[in-house]
Amino acid sequence: MKSNLEHYFLWQLRDFIRERGVAMLLIGLLFGMTVIVPMKVATSATGTQLTDRMATQILMLVLPQVSFITSFIVLNGLVSTDRIRGYYRFLFSKPVSVPVYYAQAFLVSFLGYCTVFTILLALFVAFVKPIMPFGTLAFGALVFLSLGGIAFFISSLFRRDWIVLSVVLAGTWIMGSWWGQKGGIRQAFVQLLPPLGKLTGQMDGLVNRGTANPADVFHVLGYSALFFAAGLIVLHRRPIG
Amino acid sequence: MELLHPAASIVIEFSRTSKTYRSILGRSVIAVEDFSLQVAEGEILGIAGPNGAGKSTLLSLLLGYLRPTSGSVRIMGQEPRTYVQKNGIGYLPELMTINPQWRADTALVRFATLANVPAPDVSARVDEVIDRLGIGEHRDKKIKALSKGNLQRLGVAQALLRDEKVMILDEPTHGLDPVWTQRFRDIVEKLRAPTRTVIIASHNLDELQRLADRVAIIDRGRLQRLVTTGYDQATDTGGTYRIAVASGAEQVAVLLPSAHSSGDGEFEVSFPDIEAMNRALSTLISNGVVVASVVPARSVLEQQFREAVGESK
Repeated sequence: MKSNLEHYFLWQLRDFIRERGVAMLLIGLLFGMTVIVPMKVATSATGTQLTDRMATQILMLVLPQVSFITSFIVLNGLVSTDRIRGYYRFLFSKPVSVPVYYAQAFLVSFLGYCTVFTILLALFVAFVKPIMPFGTLAFGALVFLSLGGIAFFISSLFRRDWIVLSVVLAGTWIMGSWWGQKGGIRQAFVQLLPPLGKLTGQMDGLVNRGTANPADVFHVLGYSALFFAAGLIVLHRRPIG
Repeated sequence: MELLHPAASIVIEFSRTSKTYRSILGRSVIAVEDFSLQVAEGEILGIAGPNGAGKSTLLSLLLGYLRPTSGSVRIMGQEPRTYVQKNGIGYLPELMTINPQWRADTALVRFATLANVPAPDVSARVDEVIDRLGIGEHRDKKIKALSKGNLQRLGVAQALLRDEKVMILDEPTHGLDPVWTQRFRDIVEKLRAPTRTVIIASHNLDELQRLADRVAIIDRGRLQRLVTTGYDQATDTGGTYRIAVASGAEQVAVLLPSAHSSGDGEFEVSFPDIEAMNRALSTLISNGVVVASVVPARSVLEQQFREAVGESK
């Protein structure tokens, strides 16, 4: 027999589509168009034929921005929105486990993200050039899952989670570029930050060959999974109000 | 102060519960302090207190939305969150925080689903509470389009989706018109059951006097007084009464020198007991005064409330 939360899955999916899915699709399209439309105009003006290689390069130009920004849109406020707006008062007076509810919301977000990402890829294939979409989709999913655990943890702790997440991500990039190659304690500190460098390093292999470095993938996913588990513990132990 | 309800088994227990809010800058506000109270199975308990007295914090502690700084809260011997997660509570919050984009009827379907109403029964159950609360004509409206009163009725409806053993209603008649206030009181009266415990927090003392078995008066986070309500107690003691006369108002001032006229043939008079009041009325009537009505100027609860809140200040 299905539990109440399993029944509620479709409602969460509906909320995802209305509140985040459409926004993700529009922003993904806008980002893609800022690069793709000028390229298309340039190639048609010079009468150049768009090759597979050029199409892949265009894709790799927009892919990091689109995957990071759309993941950010989908993940921010996953827990904190209910807390800020007080929706938790009604939700959790029902026989519902807070961590299980939000773990399911995370799963719904991931599935929704992958669906919208597939639509964006389908549009690319239809309007730019047919490419093998699986590696690109895998990279998008990897970005979501790598940021997901960290975003989930931050959202379970802070009301203004998008600010904290922005600071963490920006701080990670800045620290990585400053201290990443310095050695000593500074490099050790950078090692503790989210392994975003290892994440972007997988793009070429995944998009072009459909392969990734298993150790790096394990590292980024493991790092995120630890924070996801920490988020669940926070939700279990810390009152939601 | 009688903290233990005689006879029936204890469902809810606050034991020396305190809750202090602390800001990042180290400032602290005591919302609830050393609060002890037991609520029995089948009881309707009222919670009254001025604004900022700690009522909502107390209810949040009871739902496990907050954790006490010290002391404990138990429902059926369990931590509140453990109990709610397993059984659910019929809860009407003071703030109607429902996603404004949801439709009224689908909001109820969602809550019924989360409340573990069996899937085949959800639709019928939702229709039933919509009908009971009279919001049928608003069922397909978005939450943001509902008036305060209709939103409040929707909130009451979602609390009634399942026959919960514990119900918590925070300012339940806030925003309701007089007709629905009365209907709500009838609904609460029907909720009274030997196996159900109901807590109502309200500013409306008259409402608590009518509905609750006992009323906990809190102020500044502390339990100031626990008042047992009931018709007998309300009428067997003396107090201040408002007497309205149809004619002979000038006689009242002569026959009852302690009466204070409030104009339009109305007087407030204090009596030590019911017999004294009856003697005074008899004197008035035998001297040709036509008495139109006699009502308590203040309920017992209101008097207790004024004293308790006054004392705490």
